[in-house]
Amino acid sequence: MFPSNRRPRSLSARLVAGSALLALLVAAAFGVLAFAVTTLDDATKRERHAKAVSAETLQLERLVLDLDTGLRGFVLTGREDLLAPWTSARAALPKSLRAFQQLASTTAEERRRATTLVSSINQYVADYAVPVVDIARTSPAATRQAVVSQEGASQLAAVRNRFADFLSTENALAAARTSAAQRRSNEAIAAAIAGLIASALLIIGIGLYLARSIARPAREVAEGAARLAGGDLTTRLEPQGVGEIEELTHAFNRMAERLEASRRELEEQNERLRESERAKSELVSIVAHELRTPLASVLGFTSVLLQREVTDEQRREYLGIIEAQARRLGALVNDFLDVQHLEAGKLSIAKELVDVGSVIRQQTELFAGQSPKHLLDVSLPPTPLPVRGDSNRLAQVVANLLSNAIKYSPDGGVVRVAGNRNDDVVRVSIQDEGVGIPAELQRDIFDKFVRGHATAEGIEGSGLGLAISRSLVEAHGGSIDFKSTKGRGSTFWFEIPTAAPN
Amino acid sequence: MTAARPETTAKTVLICEDDTNLRTLVRLALGEEGYRFFEAPDGPSGLALARRTQPDLIVLDLMLPGRSGLDVLRELRNARDLGETPVIVISAWSHSDEAAVQAGADRFVAKPFDPDELRDAAVALLEDDRVPE
Repeated sequence: MFPSNRRPRSLSARLVAGSALLALLVAAAFGVLAFAVTTLDDATKRERHAKAVSAETLQLERLVLDLDTGLRGFVLTGREDLLAPWTSARAALPKSLRAFQQLASTTAEERRRATTLVSSINQYVADYAVPVVDIARTSPAATRQAVVSQEGASQLAAVRNRFADFLSTENALAAARTSAAQRRSNEAIAAAIAGLIASALLIIGIGLYLARSIARPAREVAEGAARLAGGDLTTRLEPQGVGEIEELTHAFNRMAERLEASRRELEEQNERLRESERAKSELVSIVAHELRTPLASVLGFTSVLLQREVTDEQRREYLGIIEAQARRLGALVNDFLDVQHLEAGKLSIAKELVDVGSVIRQQTELFAGQSPKHLLDVSLPPTPLPVRGDSNRLAQVVANLLSNAIKYSPDGGVVRVAGNRNDDVVRVSIQDEGVGIPAELQRDIFDKFVRGHATAEGIEGSGLGLAISRSLVEAHGGSIDFKSTKGRGSTFWFEIPTAAPN
Repeated sequence: MTAARPETTAKTVLICEDDTNLRTLVRLALGEEGYRFFEAPDGPSGLALARRTQPDLIVLDLMLPGRSGLDVLRELRNARDLGETPVIVISAWSHSDEAAVQAGADRFVAKPFDPDELRDAAVALLEDDRVPE
């Protein structure tokens, strides 16, 4: 894997750097090759020059030999015609010497050796070749002796040695220079080949790098996308590659996370819907059950009245039960509708200025005559208890709590109703001395169909009163709560924000 | 049909039902047969009364406070002295008849019920019971 820093250099930056390095390498290889070519060209020039110098040297040597040949022929025979090579060589020599000296002047060393050769030739011409011919014209015998003797031969041999010297040195130097040039050129070619091989390797390297940092991650992203499309939303990619490619894997993972989260959300929503559907069908089932119980009384006692012989007293009693149970059915239907509206948020609550004190007074008056065993003790301040709300709904809450207080204190006793206010809230409390709420039921007492010991005590009710009361109080922006001890009674209270005086 | 049956030989019926009116109605439905009645408003007191009175027939509601009717029924069936006592389950849960029969009910009567239907069921069970005599 490539080292992945916190801020990876971008892929394009890396590619540009790689390409630049490649270009540099190729340029260097070509530079070295050009150097090799130049070196070889230079060596060729030097060789050509060396050959020219050799040719000129040989020309010079031939002229000197011509001088010597003419000289010998003339001196030994005295014939003027045999002096022809000497004459022509003598005429050609100065020009040839100049040309030689001009040619052999590329280095100081060469110039020095050329000068030595030239001066030894000049010396030979001045000291021997010219004087001997002059003397031969005046006294041929004397010169003949000199030419035949070793004198002339040694003079010429000296000059010829210098020629040999010069030529061999010139050739050796030329060979050394050529082989050095050859060597440098070989080295340069090797370096260029190495550079080109390195470039080729670099190109392969860049290819591999691209494959690893683009092709493979791209394939994995594609495979991941296919898995996602196939429904596996837990698919995540190992962040890899550099720069833009790594960003791609991160972006892919973010996308997968979002997809998974939204699917989870959908599933949860679905589950909530199923749950609410279940609750709804449970409610329907409970409603059916709750309705059937009073209906059983209504139908059952009606059958008894229709089919059996009963006394007048019995008839009145049964008709009373039928009426009460029919009313109970009606009240249940209203409660169910209220609950349904409250749960659907369809219950409209008026926002009028209501004096909770007068609501309490009306309701306690309605309940006062209901039970001879109960005493209603109402405590209200002389000033109003103003709230914003719906007087009918607030009356329903007070009636519910009052009715509970009376129902759940079957042995009678005092029911204390108190209303008071401060700047923030109006508070209403209703306290009874009844059976209280068993501890195990207290947590759920505001839930639907939770009825304390009501059934055991034969206390009627839908089990919806407190649920409805709580919803109504909350719809007024208030809260409801209670305190209860089993066997000692309960106190329920609710608080609703005090309306600002206007 | 003879109301003048001696008190000591009268069949006893335990009514285990939380609704007062319905207890009255059951009593009325069976009243002409001259049975003696015991009444219990919840599961635990129903079981206690059954053990104490050893009734000839039990009319049992399913939706009972304290313990559910099915619970009571299972316990009755497990008790040696009450295992064979005929039980009529009455319930507003009309779809719980299967569960009731499975728990050991002899008859299931759905609420609301016709008093005559309940009486016929009770008579049939008590007549059955009388066969070995």
